[in-house]
Amino acid sequence: MTIHLSIMLWAPAALALAGALIPGGRTVSRALAGVGTLIALGYAITLVADYKSGGGLQYVTDRMWIRELGIHYKLGVDGLNLFLILLTSVLFTATTLWSLSSERAREGQYWLQLGLAHSFVLGSLMAQDLALFVAFFDLMLIPFFFLSLGWGGGRRDERIAAITKLVIYTLVGSLLMLTAAIALAVLSASQSGNDLSFAFTDLQKVTLTKGSQEWIFLCFAAAFLVKMPSFPFHGWMPDGYKAMPMPVLAVFSGVLSKVAAYGFLRIVVPLLPDAAVHFQTLMLLIALASVLYGSVMAFTTTNTRLILGYSSLAQLGFIVLGIFSLTEQGAQGAILQSVNHGLVVAPAFFLAGAAAVRSGGSEDLRDMGGIAFRAPVLTTIFLIVAMANLAIPGSSNFVGEFLILLGVFNAKLAIACIAFTGVALASVYTLRLFIRAMHNRVGQDVTSRDVSLGDAVVLVPLVLCILGLALYPQLALKKGEQTVKGSVAAARAMTHPPKTAAAAQNGSVLNTVKTVPAGTPVPATGGTP
Amino acid sequence: MQTTAWLVLGLPLLGAITIGLLHKRLPGKTAGYLGTTLLAGSFLCAVLTLLSLQDRGEAHRQVVFVAWDYAKTVGLDAQLSILIDPLSLLMMCVVTGVSTLIHLYSIGYMVSDKGYARFFAYLNFFVFSMLLLVMAGNFLLLIVGWAFVGAASYLLISFWYRRTTATAAGIKAFVINVVGDIGLVLGTYFIFRHSHSLDFLTTFKAADAGALGHHGSADLTAGCLLLLVGACAKSAQIPLHTWLPDAMEGPTPVSSLIHAATMVTAGVYLIARMHPLFEQAPAAADTGAVIGAVTLLVAGTIGLCVTDLKRVIAYSTMSQIGYMIMGVSSGAYVAGLFHLMTHAFFKALLFMAAGSVIGATAGNQDLDRMRGFRKAMPFTFGCFVIGGLALAGIPPFSGFFSKDEILLVIGEQGGWHWALYVAGYVGAFLTAIYTWRMIFRAFFGEACPEAKELEHGHLFHAEVHTNPANGEVEDTDVGFPGAEHHIAEQTIEMKLAMGVLAILAVVGGFLQIPKVNHHLDSFLDPTFADSAIRPDSKDGLLYFGLVLGTALGLAGIAIAYRVWVVKPGTSAAVLGRFRPVHRVFVNKWYFDEAIDLVVVRPFAFLGRASRNSFERIVVNGAFVGGSTGVVKASSSAVRAIQTGLLRSYTALLLVGLTGVGLYFLLSA
Repeated sequence: MTIHLSIMLWAPAALALAGALIPGGRTVSRALAGVGTLIALGYAITLVADYKSGGGLQYVTDRMWIRELGIHYKLGVDGLNLFLILLTSVLFTATTLWSLSSERAREGQYWLQLGLAHSFVLGSLMAQDLALFVAFFDLMLIPFFFLSLGWGGGRRDERIAAITKLVIYTLVGSLLMLTAAIALAVLSASQSGNDLSFAFTDLQKVTLTKGSQEWIFLCFAAAFLVKMPSFPFHGWMPDGYKAMPMPVLAVFSGVLSKVAAYGFLRIVVPLLPDAAVHFQTLMLLIALASVLYGSVMAFTTTNTRLILGYSSLAQLGFIVLGIFSLTEQGAQGAILQSVNHGLVVAPAFFLAGAAAVRSGGSEDLRDMGGIAFRAPVLTTIFLIVAMANLAIPGSSNFVGEFLILLGVFNAKLAIACIAFTGVALASVYTLRLFIRAMHNRVGQDVTSRDVSLGDAVVLVPLVLCILGLALYPQLALKKGEQTVKGSVAAARAMTHPPKTAAAAQNGSVLNTVKTVPAGTPVPATGGTP
Repeated sequence: MQTTAWLVLGLPLLGAITIGLLHKRLPGKTAGYLGTTLLAGSFLCAVLTLLSLQDRGEAHRQVVFVAWDYAKTVGLDAQLSILIDPLSLLMMCVVTGVSTLIHLYSIGYMVSDKGYARFFAYLNFFVFSMLLLVMAGNFLLLIVGWAFVGAASYLLISFWYRRTTATAAGIKAFVINVVGDIGLVLGTYFIFRHSHSLDFLTTFKAADAGALGHHGSADLTAGCLLLLVGACAKSAQIPLHTWLPDAMEGPTPVSSLIHAATMVTAGVYLIARMHPLFEQAPAAADTGAVIGAVTLLVAGTIGLCVTDLKRVIAYSTMSQIGYMIMGVSSGAYVAGLFHLMTHAFFKALLFMAAGSVIGATAGNQDLDRMRGFRKAMPFTFGCFVIGGLALAGIPPFSGFFSKDEILLVIGEQGGWHWALYVAGYVGAFLTAIYTWRMIFRAFFGEACPEAKELEHGHLFHAEVHTNPANGEVEDTDVGFPGAEHHIAEQTIEMKLAMGVLAILAVVGGFLQIPKVNHHLDSFLDPTFADSAIRPDSKDGLLYFGLVLGTALGLAGIAIAYRVWVVKPGTSAAVLGRFRPVHRVFVNKWYFDEAIDLVVVRPFAFLGRASRNSFERIVVNGAFVGGSTGVVKASSSAVRAIQTGLLRSYTALLLVGLTGVGLYFLLSA
């Protein structure tokens, strides 16, 4: 039992709150918010350095919170969330630094919302209790709502419409998830005869009947797929992305979607293995559609935010592919890719912002061009980020993609082959973005200038992270390996029973699992207590 | 040996990083000399490594050095490991050697370009990538090197990045190379499925032991065919060749180094490296051989008709790599690699000489506008002649020995390989014609104004700088070519580099003269000792091939001489007779149009359809439709309470949170 995770978790929110309440204006709130973020970052780095590979759940805090409902305040770190926690803190630090470079109205409020967002995301990643996870998962949207509302771009009513759409989308998902979470705990308790408990460790001890697993699975999947977003649940994404202030968007796109992917690996696959196997093909097809749809959209759009948004849609498709290959390689790749994508998309949004500043404020590719002219450093950084985004071999993104597709290859050959189209398309839309922004003839309103010191402070550390992980992805792989194996073990045991049967299955897509149409209504009778 | 081997790889990387970081602080030609010196050091280390490898017994000439674990998890065993054996050493020596010379040439050629330091940083990065490719000890690292050379090639093709034609060519090259990468990755999956290891030596041992499946098994064949896709994309073999002619948008030293001497031969290296697998998958190997043969013929016919100087050489590169691919796919490993080496010499030389001519015409590459440069540029002319003779396969120039050895080994295998044999000699005949067509058109006849001016010592400079591809007006700042042009006749670095290559193009073939010596055979033996393809040597065929090759080469040159020097009107007359054929050739057999129709348009259509219909109607319409009302209602509700300050919401949030916190504290 240790209190460190709690300190780390609440430091950003607490200090930002102090900054908002203590009179003293801008300087105080900035300083306190910065300190809060740095505390979390320092802790995250220490955690990664100190974490013992294969040591199971570590730094556990476990206190009974609501005894009657069996809800624990339980936090812990293992191979699944270790690097996502680090990613979260790194990206929030970057966003903080980025936000420091410009002044804005109601500064204290801004920092408070950012601090709350930081804490809630960390909470959902650290939570080792289903109810706690659900609480944090829903809470983390609220600060983003206010951030968009208060400091977003575009007209205010458009912003409100966009963000309301986002909230409604995710609320529907959240409600489904809440139902599913309660049902999961109650059914587990009634099946095992133990007291009601939401702790993952207790839930893990019981395997529900296949029927219950299936509808609970669908509820969770809906919530997570909306949050990512995944095709075809991405309706909120284009408007939502346009409404958010760029620094906030970087962290939103970099981290929040990963929490959903993480939810699959933490909750869905280990706790509902039968359903995961049952819906494997469906999920793979949804993910595949995400990959292809996102890629095709990304290379026909000219708005830089949306290119990055659709690119994320495609990348998250890959992550879901990895998870639902239900293989160790796929899951391991998915976790690594979550970290990679976060590390890449945040500087990408920053660069999109920098490009917009240099092309007369327009975020449209048609108004850009030739920004590289007087900006060699900016161009180099953009190039590195672009190459990582298209997962060029040699980047850590490639290692993630290699593992994911290897997993899918072993599970469903045909899907893997089609998914490779997404790899080729990624290079098309990423290079298109790079070339049309940075190269070609200099655009009409473009003034090319290199990165300022303020830009460099944000960009260079992120790029160094990308390069470091590219040189030594083993760091992330080694620490995660044991937990990831455990997370897919149950589902894997079902898809690969004996060695010979597994070999016979290869080469065919549809022989293991019967798919259920996406819209099939789910009988909820067995769920409510 | 370990230190020198890592230094071979490390020095170019060091160069790229140093020049990249210091690019603003390196005055004059410093960046060029720094890059060249580091590469020369790299070459020296490669030679030292070679010497220490030769000290070992034949059985111990495959050494693996490991730096650190790269991705060693859940069944994967990828390390940062390099494999030093005769094959990789041959490639290392060729790559570093030729690169050093081309760097030397670039010191002079690029000197007035505003992106001088950037050029050398890219060039050094390319050499690092290429070395990574040939030294990689496992599949994953091979793929990394493979993709890095693609990236370096992309960067250098669109080096003049404000030229839209250059950036378009760059993205084309990159994407086709990504298709190749995908082939490589998928192929690796098929092989890994059985070998359970990414390490080369482990995989090859497993293949020898039959652990990868029986001879010609489906997975092995699929794996090798996919590796072949990778090889075709990188080596510009049909149908993945269309990027190479466009890649000529890059500065000429780039064409010389990357798109002739080194990178494009990576496919040949790949097949040679994977020979234990390809020999177990004869269907894949035969496919490779046929692709090589088709490519060498098709490229030859196009080479006859293009009028862009650099593109003629580019098509000849495609064609020559066709020979190599055909060779290594049919078991002529040593011969294929021998041709790779000699080709690197004479093709790099030809491109450098072409660069010199382009310098003399202020960036113009059109053969129609070049005439009579012989007197104005005697040194360049000499280099062109040596390169042309070597390319046409005239004894005793280097190309003669290597090309004939490939065809000999193929002929010795008999059976359907005779078709390849015939294709090879037809190709040789075409090669001689189009090579010398180019030389006669550029150097013979009445001198054009640029040549005349040069004869009086004045180098021609265009008054207005334009993009030769589309005539757009350009300035001479960074992102466009520099103001000055440079030719070998007046620049000592260029002259030196071309001189050395000219000597190599003459004597390079003496490494392996039939019936006299076989240095390369015995050097490479440790790598290819496990090959099962050992056809009986046939002396008759050997002499027949040597005579036939010489005769066809001379005949080709003679025809070219007659058509373009003696009776310059002939080509127009021939054209009139064969207009439809000419149209096919000049339009490059319509490959670009076919790819556009089959691949590009469907995806563009899909994208438009997705955006215009699906996104609008399904996602935002029907799918959201149900909740649209809700959205509208609630947004108006939200709007109604928008009058308050944000502070009040936050306060609300905090109250809630505090309540939750208190509850936790009390109940705990």
